[in-house]
Amino acid sequence: MMILVTGGSGSGKSAYAEDRVLSLGEGRRIYVATMHPYDGESLRRVKRHRQMRAGKGFETVERYTNLRELILPGDSVVLLECMSNLVANEMFQGDKIREGIVMDVVNGIRDLKDQVRHLVIVTNEIFSEPACYEGDTVRYQEYLGKVNQLLALLADEVVEVVYGIPVWHKGGNSK
Amino acid sequence: MEMIIGGAFQGKGDFAKSNHPDIKWQQGESLDENGLLAAEGILDFQEYIRAELKNGHDVSGLAEKMIEKNPDVILVSQEIGYGVVPMDAFERAYREAVGRICTKLAAYSKKVTRVVCGIGTVIKDDVRDGDQG
Repeated sequence: MMILVTGGSGSGKSAYAEDRVLSLGEGRRIYVATMHPYDGESLRRVKRHRQMRAGKGFETVERYTNLRELILPGDSVVLLECMSNLVANEMFQGDKIREGIVMDVVNGIRDLKDQVRHLVIVTNEIFSEPACYEGDTVRYQEYLGKVNQLLALLADEVVEVVYGIPVWHKGGNSK
Repeated sequence: MEMIIGGAFQGKGDFAKSNHPDIKWQQGESLDENGLLAAEGILDFQEYIRAELKNGHDVSGLAEKMIEKNPDVILVSQEIGYGVVPMDAFERAYREAVGRICTKLAAYSKKVTRVVCGIGTVIKDDVRDGDQG
């Protein structure tokens, strides 16, 4: 089972994704963290997410780039958060944006999906703002948009979380 | 409580007024806290939050206060978290605050409608779904 959870900033998508992992039953729960904390604000964000996960039985694995090198146990239920960080990390790690990032990320997810019992992925809607961005920011939107589309093809469910309310775009309980 | 949400320029206000023609509508940025807690209908609720943050006020307990003091209010609010993370720290804090507050209010609301191109889609309806909790 693979579930893609998307939504805007502050939409409650992380809390929803955690609940879905818990609802997938027992198993080794692994949280794959993709945000590389670099300042006080990101450290506070990490702390907030750690508090949210406390008591839910997650082991945390940090993976900022190169998803394909990640090997996880076959009986695990995995929560990977967040695609927007992973894609940004892949894009902006060197002087030059590497071609092929989109397929590297998607293939990494495909490998992960084949390895583990259940995979829940959190991504981010960053596509509905005035077209005032330029250069690398537009390219970032393009790459993440492509990643999201390809992950939606792999996923059994695609859920957009709107202020905590799930709105299904694929599969699931389309109440 | 009821919420009508959506992006900018989607006709949220007209949708809200035509569905609730008999209540008094006020703009979020024109209200102080007492006005907010007494209002029947609020347009651009996000602007109230922005003004509070600009004035250096703590908004972390705002949702709880509204639920306690004004549980029947109808809120129209713009969804502002659908873009690239802003470079400006205030803008980041603002959209995060709007998201957290609206998520709490949506959990309490009996009905939440999302307006796109003037068309409202009900994404939560406790009465329809038979869930009174």
